[in-house]
Amino acid sequence: MSGQQAIATPASLQCVTFSLQNENYGIDVMQVQEVLRQIEVAPVPGAPSFVTGIINLRGNIVSVIDARARFGLPSAEATSLTRTIVIEVHQQIIGIVVDSVAEVIDVNPSDIEVTTNVGNDETSPYITGTVNSDDQLLVMIDLNKLIGDVEIGVTGGI
Amino acid sequence: MSVDLNDEIMQDFLVEAGEILELLNEQLVDLEQSPEDNDLLNSVFRGFHTIKGGAGFLSLTSLVEICHKSEDIFDLLRNGKLALSAQMMDVFLQVLDEVDRMFAQIHEAVDPDPAPAELDQMLLDMQSPTTEVEATGAATAPTKVNETVLDAVSAATPAEQENNTEVLLEAAEMESTDSMAEDISDEEFGALLETLNQSKSEPKVDNVGQTKPQSITNDASDEITDEEFEAMLDVLHGKDKGPATGPSSQVPIESDNKRDHTDKNLISDAEFDDVLDQIHGKGKGPGSTDNAESVSAAKPGPTASGSGTDKKVAVAPKPATPGSATPDSAKPVKTETSVRVDTARLDQIMNLVGELVLARNRLNTLKEGFTDVRVHQAISNLDSVTGDLQSAVMKTRMQPIKKVFGRFPRVIRDLARSLNKEVNLMMEGEDTDLDKNLVEALADPLIHLVRNSVDHGVELPAQRVAAGKPGAGNVVLAARQEGDNIHLSISDDGAGMDPEVLRNKVVEKGLMDHETASRLDDKGCFDLIFLPGLSTKQAISDVSGRGVGLDVVKTTITQLNGTVEIDSVIGKGTTLNIKVPLTLAILPTLMVKLGNRKYALPLSNVGEIFELNSKQVSVIDGREVILNRGKAPPLFHLRKWLLNGSEETEPRAQEPQVIMVRVASNLVGLVVDQVIGQEEVMIKPLGSMLQGLPGLAGSTITGDGNIAIILDVPGLLQCHA
Repeated sequence: MSGQQAIATPASLQCVTFSLQNENYGIDVMQVQEVLRQIEVAPVPGAPSFVTGIINLRGNIVSVIDARARFGLPSAEATSLTRTIVIEVHQQIIGIVVDSVAEVIDVNPSDIEVTTNVGNDETSPYITGTVNSDDQLLVMIDLNKLIGDVEIGVTGGI
Repeated sequence: MSVDLNDEIMQDFLVEAGEILELLNEQLVDLEQSPEDNDLLNSVFRGFHTIKGGAGFLSLTSLVEICHKSEDIFDLLRNGKLALSAQMMDVFLQVLDEVDRMFAQIHEAVDPDPAPAELDQMLLDMQSPTTEVEATGAATAPTKVNETVLDAVSAATPAEQENNTEVLLEAAEMESTDSMAEDISDEEFGALLETLNQSKSEPKVDNVGQTKPQSITNDASDEITDEEFEAMLDVLHGKDKGPATGPSSQVPIESDNKRDHTDKNLISDAEFDDVLDQIHGKGKGPGSTDNAESVSAAKPGPTASGSGTDKKVAVAPKPATPGSATPDSAKPVKTETSVRVDTARLDQIMNLVGELVLARNRLNTLKEGFTDVRVHQAISNLDSVTGDLQSAVMKTRMQPIKKVFGRFPRVIRDLARSLNKEVNLMMEGEDTDLDKNLVEALADPLIHLVRNSVDHGVELPAQRVAAGKPGAGNVVLAARQEGDNIHLSISDDGAGMDPEVLRNKVVEKGLMDHETASRLDDKGCFDLIFLPGLSTKQAISDVSGRGVGLDVVKTTITQLNGTVEIDSVIGKGTTLNIKVPLTLAILPTLMVKLGNRKYALPLSNVGEIFELNSKQVSVIDGREVILNRGKAPPLFHLRKWLLNGSEETEPRAQEPQVIMVRVASNLVGLVVDQVIGQEEVMIKPLGSMLQGLPGLAGSTITGDGNIAIILDVPGLLQCHA
């Protein structure tokens, strides 16, 4: 019965929720690889301001971006709740530093309301919509757009 | 028929034919030098023939056609009915380009377009001089007929004219037309492929025979005994003893007429025979003995007999080893000793070894904390094994520079002809091995530099003679290994470069002010040619002179952690020396510390390290310089560049160190907090978000598990200094 339902309606979307400046955001769980606690970040000279640096993730070099800087929010000191969400976008592994990570929730895609007036100038291009879940507003982020836009410089190299 | 790139046969064909094509390029140029070399002619003929055969299987009609026509002409050449001329070579080289284009189309899974009609006509025209030697009917008519046949039968059957076997085969076919499928079935293809790959083992050959037995006996059983198979070969080949004397051009016309009725197959049996010949070696099997006799006139000889197609490609068309092309040197059956490996897999292995090196470095750091001597022993054992493994894996990725050099005879020939120059190319050290990625990365820059040498360096014959030099210029390409580096040089004995001209030019173009330019020494002037937008050539040719390119060459080589130096003497010639590391994946570096962060400087840039002594530092023109060895190179503080100018806050553990680095012809001093030591690191690219940051070459993980940024010294200087 439940299986039939799952086939009938588009599969519900699972989201990882995180907070930034007391706002809750959600990203597709399929793109999240892991969540790291505090980890030492090596700064990269000359990198864009929202890139905090690179980390050694079990032998792989992963770039880390600061979600606050990316969203145009004031920067904050790292706390014991600060997490780095490791995501995969465009076959790239990238870490995103957020204030805290809450949980994984189910979101019915039809519940996502496409609104245009959410977020500021910097965030609105990456927002797919909002969801009301457990009486809190969840802002859905499209990681493909969030990361896709930040590619800089020359590609290819050698 | 559409092109199916997933087809294994297609893949094999593309790889093998690609190699043949490369060889043909070389051989054709060689052939022009020594038109009398019959072995060479034979291998060229065979090259076209093999491509044609493969294309036939895959019904690449247009490819078959063009190869076939070229093959015809080479056959005439081989039999002395035509003489080789430079015009012919031009056409042949055009044919190769055309074949190249078709390959490119096949790679894109597109059915190749037919060759342009002019080229077809040129090929046909080339055959006509035969009439002087041969009766018209004998020589030209068959080919003409073949053309019509080809047109009529849109299927890709190349009009095989090798020998009269066909006539008999045709008869056999006629008897069994009912049982013949229009196309060859997949199984048959598979069987053929198998035999091509594993032709050494006799029993396997049975599978090939199956295609023919089927057509004749309608016997589809898988298990054909050797005797049966040989008997069938006898049937197919046996009778051609008698008439099979004539070379291709003398194939009776009626055979072609017969073909009209019967030859609707994509591949004629004669094609199969050829495949069998190549697989078997003509000396083997009762049937093929006869065949060998008849073919020996037409076919180059059993060069590659007994070895697989792979081997054949490698061995057969080698003009340098005439022994291999002599008809009667039947090769012993060799077991295959090489395996084709996907380069992605090699890259993966290389990556894993890189990880291992990092782990070893880490252990090496940690072992200081252990007092147990056994731990030390185990770690040093691991250390040496890792080192060996690293060099062994690196060797698997090594390719001879010949891969790149092989293109040059053709490039130079074409260029020299179009510029009306005479150029002799000499190559040295073609067997020098270097990393596969490097071979690929160096190909374009080298071609560019060689073209430059011919275009700018070597003068026109008249000028040369006037200058007391022989009319033909020499271009020497040399490669050699020196330690962990490969040295490449391109020298010409042309006009050389005038530093004055370059100085004036650079000022004229506004790329540098007069004072700076006049302060440059000769070497510095030569380096100017690598500046974007500088060309000393008055007239722009399609070859060079647009001022684009040399800067790209320089950038590419710098990206490979290599260097380019120019030596030039007016009137004597120019030499370009290129130095690149043996491999790209692992880089010897000097680890330095700024604050608590580690940075790695490629060791190739580092010249000298010494403690900073404030007495040696003076300020000239607002810039710090360091007095060292009687010179005063500029001094820069890496801290300012890399740590946003943050001043040291913590007390220094030791005096800052100065690292003298050499970039092109400039020497500069870089100040760092601390020099840690030498470490081999594996370059890990920064993600796409950070790619292209000036001054950074990548990152790596150090022995203690931390991250170190690898600095790109030339880029750093360019961006900050």
